[in-house]
Amino acid sequence: MFGGGKRPRAPERADELAGVVLQDADGQDVRLGELWAKRPAVVVFLRHYG
Amino acid sequence: MQLHRDRDEFEAAGVELAVIGQGTPRHASSFKDDHGLDLTLLVDPDRKTYEAAGAKMAGVTDLFGPKVALRGLKAVAGERVVQGRTIGHPAQLGGVLVIAPGGEVVWSHLANDAGDNPPNEVVLEAAREATAKS
Repeated sequence: MFGGGKRPRAPERADELAGVVLQDADGQDVRLGELWAKRPAVVVFLRHYG
Repeated sequence: MQLHRDRDEFEAAGVELAVIGQGTPRHASSFKDDHGLDLTLLVDPDRKTYEAAGAKMAGVTDLFGPKVALRGLKAVAGERVVQGRTIGHPAQLGGVLVIAPGGEVVWSHLANDAGDNPPNEVVLEAAREATAKS
C-alpha cells in the first residue's frame, strides 16, 4: 500500500499522458494532449481534494 | 499551490492551467463549488496519470513525519487552510508538470512528502519561461 523511499522523477516527455482521456467536473471527456497542443500547460496533480 | 488565488496569473503567463484529482466528476464539481474555482478540473479515479507523471506513493514517514506536521501547522496558522475529507488513495502524493507544445516536460516538481508543494511564484516563473520559448 505504501511506497516510500525513492525520490520521485518526472518523465522527460508527456507522450504517455497525452493520449489519456479523463472526465472533467461536468463529466465531459478531455484528451490531455489537447491541453498543451497550442500553448504550454501547467498540470497540477492534487494529493486529494480539500 | 493556492489555485483560487493565482489562476489569473497563470492565464496572464500564457499557459493552460489544468488540475487533476482523484475521485469522480461529482467530487470535482463540489470541490470547484466549495473553493469558487473556475478552471479545468479533471478526475482520474484510477490514478493512471499520477503513475505516468511519476508521482510518488508515500511511505508512512512521508505522510506523518515531524517536518510534514510542522509545515501543516504553519499552513493552517498562516493561511487558514482547513484540510477536508481525504478522497482517493491516502498514500498518493501530487506534483506539478509544465509541458510545452510538442510534449516536452520542461519543468516538474513531484512531491517527496505530503507537505512538499512548490510555491506558486516558482511554478509561475517556469510557466512564463515555457511560454517565452514556445
